[in-house]
Amino acid sequence: MATSLFDKYGGFASISKVVMAFYDKVLESDVTGPYFDDIDMRRLVDHQTKFIASVMGGPASFGDDMLRRAHAPHRIDRAAFDEMARLLRETLAEFGYAQADIDTVLDRIESKSRVVISADA
Amino acid sequence: MQEGEPLDRLVPALDRAALAERLASGASWKCEMEVKPKRKAISLAIEMLRAEGAVDGAIMVQCQNISKVKELEYMIDSYSKMIERQNRDLRKEKERVERLLLNIMPRPVYEEWKKFGVTTPQRFDDATVLMLDFVGFTQMSVAHDPPKLIAELNDIFTAFDRIVEQFGCERLKTIGDAYVAVSGIPEPNPDHARSIARAALLFVHYLTRRNQASEFEWRCRIGINSGPVIGSIVGVQKYVYDIFGPGVNLAARLEPLCGPMEILVSGSTAALIRDDFELTDRGEHDIRGFPDPRLAPRTRRRGPGAGVRRGQRASRITSITVPIRMR
Repeated sequence: MATSLFDKYGGFASISKVVMAFYDKVLESDVTGPYFDDIDMRRLVDHQTKFIASVMGGPASFGDDMLRRAHAPHRIDRAAFDEMARLLRETLAEFGYAQADIDTVLDRIESKSRVVISADA
Repeated sequence: MQEGEPLDRLVPALDRAALAERLASGASWKCEMEVKPKRKAISLAIEMLRAEGAVDGAIMVQCQNISKVKELEYMIDSYSKMIERQNRDLRKEKERVERLLLNIMPRPVYEEWKKFGVTTPQRFDDATVLMLDFVGFTQMSVAHDPPKLIAELNDIFTAFDRIVEQFGCERLKTIGDAYVAVSGIPEPNPDHARSIARAALLFVHYLTRRNQASEFEWRCRIGINSGPVIGSIVGVQKYVYDIFGPGVNLAARLEPLCGPMEILVSGSTAALIRDDFELTDRGEHDIRGFPDPRLAPRTRRRGPGAGVRRGQRASRITSITVPIRMR
């Protein structure tokens, strides 16, 4: 089995830093931030940790059904989705991830766009 | 914060009585709170204590931003829950794999395989092998109805498995309608022949009872032989634990000589169980592949006709009388 990016980049110890940085960016952005306005910090951090672990091949994986159920109430649109992807690309680049690995992660995210996006705007 | 603004407006959780009590005893009062000036929540750790050397009862309020600590704490919490779940899943998966492997090999062999990655073929001198199949199986109407057939065989073989287990024997495998059980492998069992004989009797008893209430009549034949066998895992990618040797072959050869619902045992098994079971002597029979060592040529013949037809030894076989009583 090929090593996951999660293991390649040092497991939880170093990926936790990515989670933190990404968390800050997502909240600061005016596109993605509002989605998290009413959510408490514990749930938000939980969400980000699982999200990063999942896209990096860490110890979390979600089926499409589960992703759809989790995102549907939030009426996520294409713009928010793209912004999330952009912020992650930016974060990973800042942490010195190889371009090819960043592309892999982003491809993985793009493949879930149909499941996550539920609003037209 | 403005001058004159009461502390409890800034720290809603402030309990003045508790604060006074803590301060009086020289301790400090602490709390944690979350404020949300903008989108991002900030976690604060508040500590109030009497300022050192203060004469007018002034208290010092320490306020520390612990947002990052909290975030990390939540993150670790979330992460460890994921890991725990993953571990649980892995454990479950491992148990499932183990159960599967134990279906195809005996536990001691599995333990050896787990520990060393390989297993060594082992010779068992004192073992008894039982071979069972059904009379006219291919002609039975149920044989042409696969789902029904599987249900029937599954039911019967499950019952056999329970019987075999009850007597400390092992079901080795099933091949189509054939059922192979052993005793004395891989754990030695001084009662190997008797255990198998008892199981065989219960097989027949079970089928007799079952046939009375079932739309199909299953009639078995059972061959039993005691003798040395070799047990080993065969295969690299597809493991199967199997047994080999004349001890196995003779049991297989006896079985077709059986009548329906009859149990045939070889001379060697008969000698071991004679005292406990009623046996009927069936005399000597020619059994293919078991030449008399006294008559067989020393060099093996090759080509057509190999397999030594002449000079075969008449092996002595005995049947357990069915229905049988144990003595």
